[in-house]
Amino acid sequence: MALVQEQEIAGDGCVSETILELKEATIKFGGLTAVNKVSFVLNRGDLFGLIGPNGAGKTTCFNLITGVYRPTSGDIEFKGKVINGFAPNKIATLGICRTFQNIRLFGALSARENVMVGANLRSKTVMPSSFWLLPPVIRETDEMRAKAEHLLEVVGLKEDMSTRSADLSYGEQRRLEIARAMATDPELILLDEPAAGMNPLEKETLQKVVRRIRDEFSMTVLLIEHDMRFVMGLCERIVVLDHGEEIAQGPPESIRSNPKVIEAYLGEAATH
Amino acid sequence: MKFWGTRLGSIVLAVAGCYLLQTIFQGNPGMNRLVVLACLWVTLSVSLNLINGITGQFSIGHAGFWMTGAYISGVIMKFQPQLKSMPAMQLLLLMMLIAFIGTGIMGLLVGLPSLRLKGDYLAIVTLGFGEILRIVVNASEPIGGSYGLFVEPKVNSIFIAAMLAVITIAACRNLLQTAHGLEFLSVREDEVASQAMGVNNTTIKVVAFVIGAAFAGAAGAVFAHLEGFISPTSFPMAFSFIVLTMVVLGGTGSITGSVVAAIVLFAIPEYLRGMSVNGEPLRFTLAGFVAFAIAGIGALALAKYTQDRVHDSKGKLIRYIGAVVGAIVVTGVFAAIFRNIPALGGKEIGVDQIRYVIFSLVLIAVMLLRPQGVFGHHEFGWHWFKSKKSQETVA
Repeated sequence: MALVQEQEIAGDGCVSETILELKEATIKFGGLTAVNKVSFVLNRGDLFGLIGPNGAGKTTCFNLITGVYRPTSGDIEFKGKVINGFAPNKIATLGICRTFQNIRLFGALSARENVMVGANLRSKTVMPSSFWLLPPVIRETDEMRAKAEHLLEVVGLKEDMSTRSADLSYGEQRRLEIARAMATDPELILLDEPAAGMNPLEKETLQKVVRRIRDEFSMTVLLIEHDMRFVMGLCERIVVLDHGEEIAQGPPESIRSNPKVIEAYLGEAATH
Repeated sequence: MKFWGTRLGSIVLAVAGCYLLQTIFQGNPGMNRLVVLACLWVTLSVSLNLINGITGQFSIGHAGFWMTGAYISGVIMKFQPQLKSMPAMQLLLLMMLIAFIGTGIMGLLVGLPSLRLKGDYLAIVTLGFGEILRIVVNASEPIGGSYGLFVEPKVNSIFIAAMLAVITIAACRNLLQTAHGLEFLSVREDEVASQAMGVNNTTIKVVAFVIGAAFAGAAGAVFAHLEGFISPTSFPMAFSFIVLTMVVLGGTGSITGSVVAAIVLFAIPEYLRGMSVNGEPLRFTLAGFVAFAIAGIGALALAKYTQDRVHDSKGKLIRYIGAVVGAIVVTGVFAAIFRNIPALGGKEIGVDQIRYVIFSLVLIAVMLLRPQGVFGHHEFGWHWFKSKKSQETVA
């Protein structure tokens, strides 16, 4: 049923290429089914939102896609290729990169160095050559530094590029994570609650950054977010999870009026 | 060609520096040996720093790798005596190369299974490796067993030992100059994130382990030919801890720190051993020692308090000076008082007997006052002489 919906949406003129497809992806931890038969399709160039109440399995979904967990059943296809159980670094090499909900930066490294770690994924030189400091390695490192500085400018951290990343503010750290993920040149970027802990002004700037990631850097964006205004104003399509199950899928307008979604959120609010 | 100019310049400078070191100390046999040993300790601590400080893998089996290198060269010399006809320097270089490769392979064999472990577990496995190796060698009669092994010929070259240290430092520093070096640091900082950024953690850890082991092995070959005799007791477990102490004391991850700490920690016991007044070994009474200990603890407490509670730099300075002066005064006063207590005043001990006590006190003091190590994450470089600029790992 979900697939039919997809085709309807994609059917407005152009046929878009599928970049990521979850086919009834399921993961069980012992008796707990954290994600239960979730299916959705991401087309190239989508700005896709993944929402749901706390504990709905959103981050687990991300962990499935990025190889942290292997799905118990079901498949995850990236560009038509099944990537179940691939190591996270392999998946990053294929072109999926993510940010973390609980910020995971390389604290002792500067902002620029953090981004350079990401950029190094596309390194064309081999590591042993760096022990000899051969000219190609130096040239490449300079290129990566320039790339890192450009990306830091995109996310608005140009002034802080030499600051230790652990010394940055919360919002800055979140933006740095985005820059670091972008540096790996992913085709699909997964943002786990990018706006958490940001003030309204920062959120507005972030929306622009996310749009720029899609439009200027032509990356497909899948994001988890709790701030409804942020998601509704940004995403073109949304999947709603509740208790590990997919309860709705579609453009923001249809999600907003979907009775199941309202029940999931209000039901949660009522019990609190 | 600015690049090749700089490159050539630094190589010439390094070779000249090592040669100068050789010419200075060649005439003095005692110093000669100590300088070679100091160079070996620098090699060991910098190579362990690559594993422990830069890549963040807590390994305490470094004496094992050192021993592997020494025994590789010792065993080859035992079973291939015709090699002795080679000129001594070439022979040493050949042995270093073989030990480098051989110990690297050993590092790979130990690293592949054990680097899946983290933190304490890895520490225990590497510790176990060092011990197993020592006990196995102890029980192996063909290679001398516990009687040890004579390594012929004895080669004593400051130049080669110093070059080994320089090359180890250069390899680590070069690595950190490039984006590839950042991969190693990222593994130390956060393994989950580094893997998500496409870093193959296992490869990075194994590479660090193999290279660190290989340099320790090369140092082992130099050691074997320096001493002319090796036995399992030449490589006690304590050596692993001393190397580890050097890395931590210098500041984990800082190459400069490892070098300075290795030299200082090697020099302290050696210096105290030779300390003398008018040709007599320096001795003092137990009363003096007790007084010194009390004053030292007091000074340390004051310094620690200052560090935590006082925030203006002038006040800090005054208190630090006060702590030092106070320690000296208190030592004098207490020593004078304690001398009258028969149990303390009668006994005399030499400094050389308690040099490791003093050594340990230095460690405690540094760890209390500067837990991140003397240099923290910082490196010595030209930027020290420039105006205040960023001190990033990658310049």
